[in-house]
Amino acid sequence: MKFVIFAGTPGSGKTSVVKYIIQELKDDHKLFFAKFDCLRTTDDERIAKEYKIPVVKKLAGELCPDHYTALEIPKIVKENKDKDIIIVETAGLCLRCSPYVKEGLGVNVLDITSGDPFRYGPILTQADIVAISKGDLISQAEREIFRAKVLKVNPKAKIVEVNGLTGEGAIDVIEFIKKTPNIKNERFTLKHSMPSAICGYCYGNKIIDEEKVHERYLAGKKLKNLVPNLNCGKCGFKSCNEFIRAVLDGKAKKEQCPFIKEEGRK
Amino acid sequence: MRKKIKKITILPGINKFGEKENFKKIDIKKGDIVTIVGYTGAGKSQFLYDIERLAQRDTKSRRKILINDKVPDKEMRFNPKRKLIASLSQSMNFLTDISVKDFLQLHLESRGIKYKKGLIEQVIKEANKITGEAISPQTNLLNLSGGQSRALMISDVANVSISPVILIDEIENAGIKKEEAIRILVKEGKIILIATHDPSLALNSNKRIIIKNGGIVKILETTLKEKSIAHYLNWIENYNLGIREDIRKGKEIKNVGIYCRPIKLKK
Repeated sequence: MKFVIFAGTPGSGKTSVVKYIIQELKDDHKLFFAKFDCLRTTDDERIAKEYKIPVVKKLAGELCPDHYTALEIPKIVKENKDKDIIIVETAGLCLRCSPYVKEGLGVNVLDITSGDPFRYGPILTQADIVAISKGDLISQAEREIFRAKVLKVNPKAKIVEVNGLTGEGAIDVIEFIKKTPNIKNERFTLKHSMPSAICGYCYGNKIIDEEKVHERYLAGKKLKNLVPNLNCGKCGFKSCNEFIRAVLDGKAKKEQCPFIKEEGRK
Repeated sequence: MRKKIKKITILPGINKFGEKENFKKIDIKKGDIVTIVGYTGAGKSQFLYDIERLAQRDTKSRRKILINDKVPDKEMRFNPKRKLIASLSQSMNFLTDISVKDFLQLHLESRGIKYKKGLIEQVIKEANKITGEAISPQTNLLNLSGGQSRALMISDVANVSISPVILIDEIENAGIKKEEAIRILVKEGKIILIATHDPSLALNSNKRIIIKNGGIVKILETTLKEKSIAHYLNWIENYNLGIREDIRKGKEIKNVGIYCRPIKLKK
């Protein structure tokens, strides 16, 4: 099984490029497509309808979408052991994150009109392939400058120029996908650590105030020690963190978590 | 290392309806100027794009391009340091927030060209030959007008991306001195492809490719008669430009000044 992650800022053309890739690969390979997004998306339905391949939609909601992606990857792989290629499209929110895994292929779809490549973090610097999109909007000179800058930021990157409207360049990405080795086991390693996310704001504090945020942090930490941190979903929330926020906001009772309830009985 | 391009060969693809193009192959040799004509949206730009990308049946048109009768290697397709094809597309916008001088410097670097004294000045000087209002090296790229941007791109292609093949998409639309622009671009021993709606440009070329519904429908060699008609058209155009200059300068146009008589062509 091959594992491919597509990352890129919103509107960079990830889905369009992925569509052309699925179209080319679907006849000879068993595909699975997982679409991650922050709040809402219908791309998964469009792709399922158009190409008749199994898909799943994962909405991060209250969580950082890239943390969420990392949490969900093992489940997706476990449920799709029979597939040849798993394609994951991330929500692509910030330039800091990179949910790329060492064992798979990381593709950054990079909008040529989105500014200086030097601003980008692991999403670009850790990518195996940089697919530059929207090149047809600017002159050849600027395209060449952009390419040189990308290589300065990520010297190992394979650069492909793609066009989401016509599908040009998708075939070059496919070539790289075919060359990617199969994953050996289900253990993945992130190429880069995620941004740290441990403060009162992560537990849902809204008032910008040193004392309040600390108070919230302590309360959250206390609950964090009680929950199983397995994101099992039995409490009705997608993740333990969301559950903690709801408890602290008074929107849920801590006994909703079967593990806390069990501990209480003991 | 720049390899020499002696010949470009285009193998047929399909049109917008998926029908195969009706020709065996088109050879374009060193020194040829070829125009691509057809209605808006017919697929002229796509044809140029296929050549720029050195398409290998992987573009919308499914055409295949050979260089010197061989399939070109990957590096040649994407690495600007090895790229042999320069293109002037219809997109006239610059996006980088930078001065003209720094921009040209960056482009030289990304092409792997060593800085030669006076080259940047040369690019700007030539650009100013084809535009009305002069560009200064300190001007911000984003503040250039449409015509100035286009002029700078043309001069950049002529002087920085010194490539043996040049693709030009509708040069006449930019409000620049078209003839002068072509003169700067066209140098001995290059292959030039121009997509155009301009009759005098089309008739001045060696060959013209007619495109309809995304496919090539005809290839015509320019006849001697057509070339002489092109001269006549040029003359009319220059007259037209003269009046345009007068209007721009604020002069009052009092009379036509010429009498148009159809010329008789010798058989």
